[in-house]
Amino acid sequence: MDPYYLVLTTVTLASIYGLLALGISIIWSSLGMINMAQGFTFAVSGYGAWLVAQNISQSGIAVIAAGVLTGALSGALIGAIAFIPLYDKPNFPLRSLIATLAISLCGGQFLLWIFGPRVKALPKIFGYGSYHIGTAVISREKIGSIVCSVALLLITLAWSKNSRRGLEIRAMMQNPEGAALVGVGLRSTAMSVMMVTGAMAGLAAVLLSQNYFVSPFAGATPLVKGMVVALAGGLGSVSGALIAAVLIGFIEAVTAVGLGGQYVLITQFLFIIAVLLIRPRGIGGMIEHSRE
Amino acid sequence: MTAKTQARDMALVGRRRWLPLARSHGSASWHRVRYPLTRRTPLLFETRYNPFTLATERRLVTVRPIAWVLMLALLAVAPPLLGNNSFVGAATLFEMYAAINIVWMLQIGTAGIFSLASLATVGFAAYGSAALSIYAGFPWWAMWLVGPAFGLVFGVLIAIPATRLEGFYYALLTVGIAELCRVYTVQSQPLGAANGGLFGTDGFVPDSMSERHGIILGFYAAFVLLLGALVLYRMINGQRLGRLLRAAPEQHEAFAEALGINYRAARIQVFLISSAALGGIGGFYATLLHGATPALFTMDQLLLLLAMIVIGGIGTAEGAVLGTLIVVLLDKVFISLGPSRLIFIAAVMLGTVLFLRGGLFGIPAQYQAWRGKRQSERRAAQSDKGGEIMPEEATEIADKQAIYTKRFDANLRAELKRLISDQLIEEHRTTMGKRRSDALERVLAHFRSAAVADKYAVLAVKPFAEYRIIALSGRRGVPPRVVDDRLFATPEEALHGVFLKRVQDLMDS
Repeated sequence: MDPYYLVLTTVTLASIYGLLALGISIIWSSLGMINMAQGFTFAVSGYGAWLVAQNISQSGIAVIAAGVLTGALSGALIGAIAFIPLYDKPNFPLRSLIATLAISLCGGQFLLWIFGPRVKALPKIFGYGSYHIGTAVISREKIGSIVCSVALLLITLAWSKNSRRGLEIRAMMQNPEGAALVGVGLRSTAMSVMMVTGAMAGLAAVLLSQNYFVSPFAGATPLVKGMVVALAGGLGSVSGALIAAVLIGFIEAVTAVGLGGQYVLITQFLFIIAVLLIRPRGIGGMIEHSRE
Repeated sequence: MTAKTQARDMALVGRRRWLPLARSHGSASWHRVRYPLTRRTPLLFETRYNPFTLATERRLVTVRPIAWVLMLALLAVAPPLLGNNSFVGAATLFEMYAAINIVWMLQIGTAGIFSLASLATVGFAAYGSAALSIYAGFPWWAMWLVGPAFGLVFGVLIAIPATRLEGFYYALLTVGIAELCRVYTVQSQPLGAANGGLFGTDGFVPDSMSERHGIILGFYAAFVLLLGALVLYRMINGQRLGRLLRAAPEQHEAFAEALGINYRAARIQVFLISSAALGGIGGFYATLLHGATPALFTMDQLLLLLAMIVIGGIGTAEGAVLGTLIVVLLDKVFISLGPSRLIFIAAVMLGTVLFLRGGLFGIPAQYQAWRGKRQSERRAAQSDKGGEIMPEEATEIADKQAIYTKRFDANLRAELKRLISDQLIEEHRTTMGKRRSDALERVLAHFRSAAVADKYAVLAVKPFAEYRIIALSGRRGVPPRVVDDRLFATPEEALHGVFLKRVQDLMDS
């Protein structure tokens, strides 16, 4: 087993998983909502990027920007449908979960209806070619996706640490009622959370579409993966999600090399179940009542 | 309108009860028809005395059992008689999905374990029994027998995390497990990855039967399955295990534990029993459709099932069945639209969660809550109800005469208030001991007929020199109280003072 290859694969997977998981985790902790429509955001941003690549520009920046923007819009749409009307109603967590599931069902069919079942390919925005690091070979797209996702993660973390909006979001994560009492607007904060996490999913969509195709139901697998990574990391914990992303990426890389690709999901799940049996709130999970 | 019908209308104000009433006899009040060897009754009657006619009345507490029997009878008879083959096929699917949803409701509602792996359990058992049939030659009845065993094994596997995880953590994990199963069945060659599913199992329809008869046999087999699921729901939810769990709802587990209820064991027990039942449905599925497909594990299929129970309302068997009926109907009516008919179903689902608290069967409760809210808002907006009793309060007062007395008094006071004027007061002052106008006499008659308690009177402190206004206590032995410290020189002045006080009280009322 080549250690360089292992490390590179782990980092690539971890950066993508981190991007997927962080969105779900932040939404859960700040809005108290499980966003099952993140997969729809993922698919729709792929199509947004594809439309721009077809009609406007093939340049990498334009494609990424289109994906990120579509993701943010889709996040705002989900927030407007599933959060704003429901957040003060009884039984909110379950109802919003079902609403986001309905959006994802509706959205997938809608995309299928408009764009048809044929998959689309995005342009290779990082170009072709590869580099040697140690004994391993790494392609430009892998480097590009690592750099982009790490950059977006860092920007998001810095934004949430330093900006006023980030402070508001963190206040809402800790105590929504208290935040509302001191003048943090729940609706506007929620919409910005939805847009930021949507943008994350949009970027992840563009990055993953370098290897996979854009299709109406492309979001299902990333959604499930992001969800279980967020679960293992502890819903609501940013550091936990990142640690879990690295661990799960590592396990995927080791399994793929050592046992074969078809066992990846099984080992991942055994790992996650083991983590959850030991720590039911995940690696860095918050205690439930600290959110309430 | 006779007095009797008026009285009945009065009783109906506010909360109308449309349940039919039957005449009864006192000695029949406690007569019950019971199922043999149990204390259960087919229909629950309540006997009470009508407060107006004093006649005994028997009232059916709930019409639910009758509705169930009628609907199930309709379901058993109508599709094979009236429908063509595809309609009977759709009805068969409906029965199977309804059975799955009812058992699933046991997991979500009764056990309170939010598992989204119900269909995955069915799929696991379907794949297991199909594989045994194909590779080990199991006949159809053996598949029905091993199905529950597979379901139980899967249930045990997914129950292990359920002991530690709560709510959404578990829901998300089960979604992941379903995805794991899907990926495995799509990739595994022995499970028919190349054919898009595992096909060719033994079926319970004999080859000698015609196609139509075979479909009808499948329909009735699924009907029996649905009945079995309903019986299971009743046996678990309505009996000991269900009662134990109802005593330990969310947030109150600690209390239940203090009472000696081992709610964890009860939950896992219900979960395992329902998993075995789902496995049985899986075995049936494999024999009915001659195999199993990875579609059983997809997110979309799971979403359809979730749409069914959400639309009907989570927590009741009738909600599960009604939601299944609506979704299957939408699915079949709009079949010409292709996959985009799922948009309709998703829209119905979205509308349900956005506007309804507990699905379609939660509408009556939600409507009542909404109406109660509106009523109290209206009542609060009314600044003055004039001493009258509002209709909602009226239903709570047994003595209806009191309501009419109050209403009469309120009307009388309103009438008298209109008579009060400066001229009238002046007339009272100047015509003491003389003949008075009709209006003043009316007002005075009302004042004089007031109850003795707190009635104003004049006390002669020093006769012909000093008079005071007092208020009688209305109780023997309790002295009157002094109202204020004003002194009057003559009894006429004091009487006019009493009149002014009464007028003021009238105007304030």
